[in-house]
Amino acid sequence: MIDYGNRTIMHIDVNSAFLSWSAVYELQRGSKVDLREIPSVIGGSKEDRKGIVLAKSTPAKKYGVQTGEALWEAKRKCPELIIVPPNFNLYTKYSNALYELLHEYSPKVQRFSIDECFIDYTGMEKNYGKPVEMAYKIKDRIKNELGFTVNIGIGRNKLTAKMAGDLKKPDMVHTIYPEEIPQKMWPLDVKKLFMVGRKTEKKLKEMNIITIGDLANTDVGILTNKLKSFGKLIWEYANGIDNSPVQTQENIITKSIGNSTTTKFDVEDYITAHKVLLALVESVAQRLRATNSCCRLVTVELKSSEFLSYSHQKKLFTPTNITCEIYKAAKELFDEMWKKEKIRQIGVRVSDLCSDEFIQTSIYDNDIDKKQALDKTIDDIRNRYGKSSVFRAVFVDSGVPEIESGTETEDYSTANQLSQIKSK
Amino acid sequence: MKFYCEKDIIQNAINTVQKATSTKTTYPILEGILIDAKDNTLKFTATDLDLGIETYINANVAEEGSIVVKSSLFGEIIRKLPDDTVMIETNGDNIIIKCQKSEFTLVGNNYEEFPKLPTINENSMYEISQDVLKNMIRQTIFATAQDETRPILTGVLFEVKDGKLSFVALDGYRLAVKSCEINSKNNISAVIPGKTLNEISKILEISDEKVKITFTPNHILFNLGNTKIISRLLDGEFINYRQIIPDEYNLRAKVKTNKLLDSIERASLLAREGKTNLIKFNILDKQIIVTSNSQMGKVNEEVEIELEGQGIKIAFNSKYFIDVLRTIDSEEIYLEFSTSVSPCLVKKADSNDYIYLVLPVRLVDND
Repeated sequence: MIDYGNRTIMHIDVNSAFLSWSAVYELQRGSKVDLREIPSVIGGSKEDRKGIVLAKSTPAKKYGVQTGEALWEAKRKCPELIIVPPNFNLYTKYSNALYELLHEYSPKVQRFSIDECFIDYTGMEKNYGKPVEMAYKIKDRIKNELGFTVNIGIGRNKLTAKMAGDLKKPDMVHTIYPEEIPQKMWPLDVKKLFMVGRKTEKKLKEMNIITIGDLANTDVGILTNKLKSFGKLIWEYANGIDNSPVQTQENIITKSIGNSTTTKFDVEDYITAHKVLLALVESVAQRLRATNSCCRLVTVELKSSEFLSYSHQKKLFTPTNITCEIYKAAKELFDEMWKKEKIRQIGVRVSDLCSDEFIQTSIYDNDIDKKQALDKTIDDIRNRYGKSSVFRAVFVDSGVPEIESGTETEDYSTANQLSQIKSK
Repeated sequence: MKFYCEKDIIQNAINTVQKATSTKTTYPILEGILIDAKDNTLKFTATDLDLGIETYINANVAEEGSIVVKSSLFGEIIRKLPDDTVMIETNGDNIIIKCQKSEFTLVGNNYEEFPKLPTINENSMYEISQDVLKNMIRQTIFATAQDETRPILTGVLFEVKDGKLSFVALDGYRLAVKSCEINSKNNISAVIPGKTLNEISKILEISDEKVKITFTPNHILFNLGNTKIISRLLDGEFINYRQIIPDEYNLRAKVKTNKLLDSIERASLLAREGKTNLIKFNILDKQIIVTSNSQMGKVNEEVEIELEGQGIKIAFNSKYFIDVLRTIDSEEIYLEFSTSVSPCLVKKADSNDYIYLVLPVRLVDND
């Protein structure tokens, strides 16, 4: 039996992850400026219209620059602001490096998002010493070996560990043990509690629940009455109750893989739209194959220039992970749904995944072997020589990037809310 | 309307037509049975607009007329009545049912609202005995597609060509073709919905009485004497199934049907645990080794065979084999293979009136 009250869980959170990682990368390449020490942000370039602040440096914060605001807004607050475009490949590399390092300390590491991990340190004291001392060691090792800073929160469960990690940044270690909850967690504004978003905050504040402590001391019946089971969940969180396990990589099942992009210009014709779809499918299918999966369902999502979103989905006859098969389905979906208006954003998602270990062949298959061999060869070349080392001729001078990996998203099937991916 | 009839006769008629009543419909009249009383004959009709069934029974009709009554309730009531003569009469849109000391008054519907079945000029293009038809349905229908991704595959192809009638069903992963001689020069190719055949096979009896079959461009009519079944045909081209069936093989194994079935059924107990239904065949000189494994364990089965050609390893969805082995009417069968990714053919050892084709499962080595 797991003694839930006696676990030791650590939450590792990279401080301004995207900015730190880009800064470290620039320094390694010989840059003299540390992006972290000047007003700078990570954000899509203006021409690409993906213009929001994804991460900001501490000096930029002093100008009032906020994550999520438009780049032009940020620029107005701070004219000398440096804008660096995001590099997701790079971030994935740093994220993997962090994961590997943490794995040395415990077999149970959960990658919670690209820049956050949980580790279950329960029972590791014998080997590595007291949690707090160890946390400092880990933090410093990451700083020295990988070059960026992290916050580490320690608690008896994932919730308190995460809350502790968010206390004061950067480069710190905090604990929230059960006896510390009233003094460290309860005075905080209720919106700081994990899972309490803007809407819930509003509802809670209408009920005169201002701090986490107010929430913890509210009758749970009143909360469930108002917010259903979610009310009970946040009440438990406010009291530091959370029994969700640290889920290691193996037992997290990917539910869907998707990719969407805001195009550089409004798409108004089929040919361009098909190219964008193909570019998205290239990346989605490759990721699908990398997880040794096949998909049965393909979804295409569109957002018009008037910000209206809609989507269509299609069930495939046989599960597949072949780029051109998924593209074929995506194209059919697009053609059937598009209302000829200007398109601003296009997304492709594959779901209803299954293992590629054994696939029932069908009479509709043709040249599966050849297509699989082709995809595998292209994947191998790209993995070795980079994503752009080989690409389809249609993309030459087309203005559409040959592989669109703009905003990658993955959903995982999970036991409860704390295990859900939170996008930053 | 007023008539007298024995309870069990009414009950049989209800059971027959009920197969065509709609259960989920936005058109409530379709949940009903239309009763027409005329000339000492009752006609019961039910339809879901795709499938329509009408059946005739004799009764003592005191007053002619028609009414529509809710099928499920009417059926329940008649079934629970004592075995005796039932008197049924209408009073406006109400229907009164009397039997011994029971008396029901039900709300009925006006018969004019009930949709008419398409009228078909019967020219009895084909005649086939009930038991043969029933068997042809049984040996093919399981291979129809269960989902609507490709609607045409939910039906069975009815094909007459050069004096031979073939029923063909395929769902993309397997194919079943059952043929018989037919005494007709009219060639035809039409696709009958699987649901229709499923209901018909429940009405067909194991007898050599003839069923008369008539086609129109959109409908098929089965005439069983007292009962007529009219069904819409499926739109669209059926797949050219002949080109899927290979005429050559690299190896052929002769095996006892029930021995193979028993082994596969046992092996599939574990395959089912893993939810993949995956079983593997290792075909050797004297036997097939059937294996399967899941997180719960593994199984190894041996079945004796007579082999022509070189052995092979191949994997299948066990369900596709069990389905055919349960319905095939031959003690011994041939299994014909070419490669581990090409289809396997199942044929009867003593006859060539049945061909079943099943596609294998492709095993991928993830390095």
